[in-house]
Amino acid sequence: MDEYQTVGEFTHYLKLMFDTSTKMRHVLLKGEISNLKPHTTGHLYFSLKDETSKINAIMFSSSASKLQFQPIEGSKVLVRGRVSIYEATGNYQIYVDEMLEDGIGNLHIEFEKLKKKLFDEGLFAKEHKRPIPKYPKSIGVVTASTGAAVKDIISTIKRRYPIAKVYLFSSLVQGDLAKDDIVKNIRLANEYDLDVLIVGRGGGSIEDLWPFNEEIVARAIYNSRIPVISAVGHEVDYTIADFVADLRAPTPTGAAEMAVPNINDVKKYMKELEIRLNESINKSIKLKRLYLDSIKNSYVIKNPVLMYENREEKLMMIIDKIDTLVRNNISNKRTYLNNIRNNHIFVNPNELYKNKYIELNHIIDKLELINPLKVLKRGYSLTIKDNTIINSIKLVNKGDLLDIKLNDGIINVKAIDKENIDD
Amino acid sequence: MTKIKFEDKIKELETIISELENGNTSLEDSIDKYTKAMKLAKECDDELKAVEDKISKIVLEDGKIEDFEVKDNA
Repeated sequence: MDEYQTVGEFTHYLKLMFDTSTKMRHVLLKGEISNLKPHTTGHLYFSLKDETSKINAIMFSSSASKLQFQPIEGSKVLVRGRVSIYEATGNYQIYVDEMLEDGIGNLHIEFEKLKKKLFDEGLFAKEHKRPIPKYPKSIGVVTASTGAAVKDIISTIKRRYPIAKVYLFSSLVQGDLAKDDIVKNIRLANEYDLDVLIVGRGGGSIEDLWPFNEEIVARAIYNSRIPVISAVGHEVDYTIADFVADLRAPTPTGAAEMAVPNINDVKKYMKELEIRLNESINKSIKLKRLYLDSIKNSYVIKNPVLMYENREEKLMMIIDKIDTLVRNNISNKRTYLNNIRNNHIFVNPNELYKNKYIELNHIIDKLELINPLKVLKRGYSLTIKDNTIINSIKLVNKGDLLDIKLNDGIINVKAIDKENIDD
Repeated sequence: MTKIKFEDKIKELETIISELENGNTSLEDSIDKYTKAMKLAKECDDELKAVEDKISKIVLEDGKIEDFEVKDNA
């Protein structure tokens, strides 16, 4: 037959198990405070939770009064206590004896918050990052004057690029006063004509490195007119300063290596440049000389006569042509002139008018025939009245004074009578 | 702290060499540039040799600059 226990009996049994277990009597938990309900009695009632689970907690006033901080909703804490069962409810809970702030946890929250805020403002923007000068002559360093960091930086620079000068701006690098001191030194460094500024410190805990996560330090780096190389802690440590800086180095030595070139490399480069320089000028001169030689050797330069030989010939041809043309012209004109001269009119100018002479004689003969004066010689006469020749009796009246023109003179008459021929 | 920066001298040197290598300059210009480049190269060489004894200094609050030796009691 199965034995049935009462709930109370079983619960009591469980409580005994918890209370006798060493493990349950020394529990260390870390989590986030939620549902905090402070009691007037001074007892604290809350839950301790994380992403996956939660546990109820009580801190009695006797312990709570010893707290070094003020717990609030969301506080990340580390607790030490014992876990037991409250029989009346059957719930298990932790009775907290000591509670500490989970500093690291809280710091991480702050870090992420500030990182997001400054990122959104654009402080980490790539476009704002300035290039580090290739051959810096003056290097500023903001770090502690003692410690490995400053030693590493200075010895690395001395080894790599001994023609550069290092200017140390000694600063606190941990503790509450550090952030202001770092800011002051960054500003002081900016008053000098430095080529690059290394800001950093050696390795340490997150609290040690914390000054380089402070907002004022980030802004001082951002506002620095001199390019900044951050060198905080070790390779794995990333601080806000690292995000804002123009270049992030994993260590102080790394920062020195980024800040300066290796002088041997520079010397080698200079040699290369000098070789290139000499080669290029030699090549230039050689080319010009070759060109000059090719000109000197050119066919035409060697036989300058060639240049005008052709021309001379051409000129001769032209002269001949002109000569011929002129001669032809003259010859033509001469022929023409001769033709004119030989024209038989020139030779016999009489010819020109002989015919005319004959013609004239004919005309004279004709004229002679119809010469009215010749007619008069045959006995005919002209009868004139008032200077008009009368050719009809009608024009004359009895008693008119008339002139009768005969071949050899004029007879003045008076008309006595007239009669028609018809009658 | 410096007149013409070392970096600028090297840049100018590089530029002149490029121009000469391109070969488009006249003879007179080439010789002028070469002379200038040689002068720059000598200046750079001299700077690279100017190693100082005391390269590290500390800048104090009041602005005074003093020699700084790394103390080995890190």
